[in-house]
Amino acid sequence: MKCEQFEAIGLDAERDASLSELERVAAREHAGTCSRCAALQDSWQAAGAELRAFAEDTALAQAPARVEMRLRQEFRTQHVTLKMRRTAVVAAWALAAAAALVGAVSWRNWRHSQYGEAANQVIPAPAKNNLPESDFAARANRRDPAAVPSGARQPVSTGAGRPEALMADNEMSGFAFLPGAFATDSEEAAILRVRLQRGALGALGLPVNEERAAEWIQVDLLVGEDGLPQAVRLPR
Amino acid sequence: MRIAEQEKDDVLLRRAANGDEEAFTLLYRRHQAAMYRFALRMTGNTWAAEEIVQDVFMTLMRDPKKYDATRGALGAFLYGVARNRVMKHLERLPREISLEEKNEDGTGSGIVLQDLSTPAMWAEKRERRQQVRDAVMELPVEFREAVVLCELEELSYEEAAQMAGCPIGTIRSRLHRGRALLMAKLEMLRDLPRRASAAR
Repeated sequence: MKCEQFEAIGLDAERDASLSELERVAAREHAGTCSRCAALQDSWQAAGAELRAFAEDTALAQAPARVEMRLRQEFRTQHVTLKMRRTAVVAAWALAAAAALVGAVSWRNWRHSQYGEAANQVIPAPAKNNLPESDFAARANRRDPAAVPSGARQPVSTGAGRPEALMADNEMSGFAFLPGAFATDSEEAAILRVRLQRGALGALGLPVNEERAAEWIQVDLLVGEDGLPQAVRLPR
Repeated sequence: MRIAEQEKDDVLLRRAANGDEEAFTLLYRRHQAAMYRFALRMTGNTWAAEEIVQDVFMTLMRDPKKYDATRGALGAFLYGVARNRVMKHLERLPREISLEEKNEDGTGSGIVLQDLSTPAMWAEKRERRQQVRDAVMELPVEFREAVVLCELEELSYEEAAQMAGCPIGTIRSRLHRGRALLMAKLEMLRDLPRRASAAR
């Protein structure tokens, strides 16, 4: 081993695990023969001893307790904040879900009330068999179908023919056939509630009190498949 | 033994990540001393070492996923973080003006040296260790790191190379040059009192 090699790897040959046994032996032999390198090694060992003494002085050094306190405080702050943030997110989602649920329920209720109103205004007529026999039989021979008077205001027809708009049989009572109208077999007949001036009933062939002709009244018209009124009644 | 410890570290870290303060404290207590010693020996400054240890564990607390258990032990990971912090500290050091007060004897207040014997011996040893400390602190950072890791932390060359992120040959050469510089400085400091007394 040469002096340069010894300086590079021989000074700490005993500790360096990456060296082979042969290299260690060579380093020992060189230190035994070269006085300069032996002195260098002695000097290094002295420095090493001083370094170890210095290391011993700091061997028991520890971070002050305040570091642990600060870290624990920070840990608590961080995790409490995180928990609060998570809680806030969950609460926000819960509120949003509740709002959506309330909205859906309100909308459903509103829709139901709309259907209810429509059912009161436009109700598909049941089959002829369901109509009171007496009313139809009494006016079966009358002809001269009358049109809906031009001054009549028709209520908005929503859902005519919807199952929920069907009326009970007893609600079909009270209709008086218009002069000349036939009782049809159609199941498409519908009841229309309209608001018109009493005078307009004259156009349907009904007798009208002239003094009260301008009065606005509400009537139910039984409209046939052809769209012409067949019978009329004054709702209670 | 080591594997069990690593498993424990992993478990503790997982628990800490889920908000278990005791687990975090246990991890801190297990590793803080080594981090602190390394930082102190590298910087020679207790305040800096304290700040570095705090930074290291703050990093672990804020982003525990940075540690990948498949790549090594938690201790090595923490050493790596500490090393980065030390390097940053040393990089900005020349621009900082130390506000630390000097000790009565004019030395810095960094590492507190302990001793035990008679006052005369105590003073002599204290002075000598202060010289060693100064000599280590005056080494260029790379050499200082090699000296601290191999001589003070007593890591093997392989471990030191892993820690410093360089080949073993580099560590050996840094250590060699660091030693040469250190010996020269120590010789010089040892000769100073002799020269001073001879001059009188």
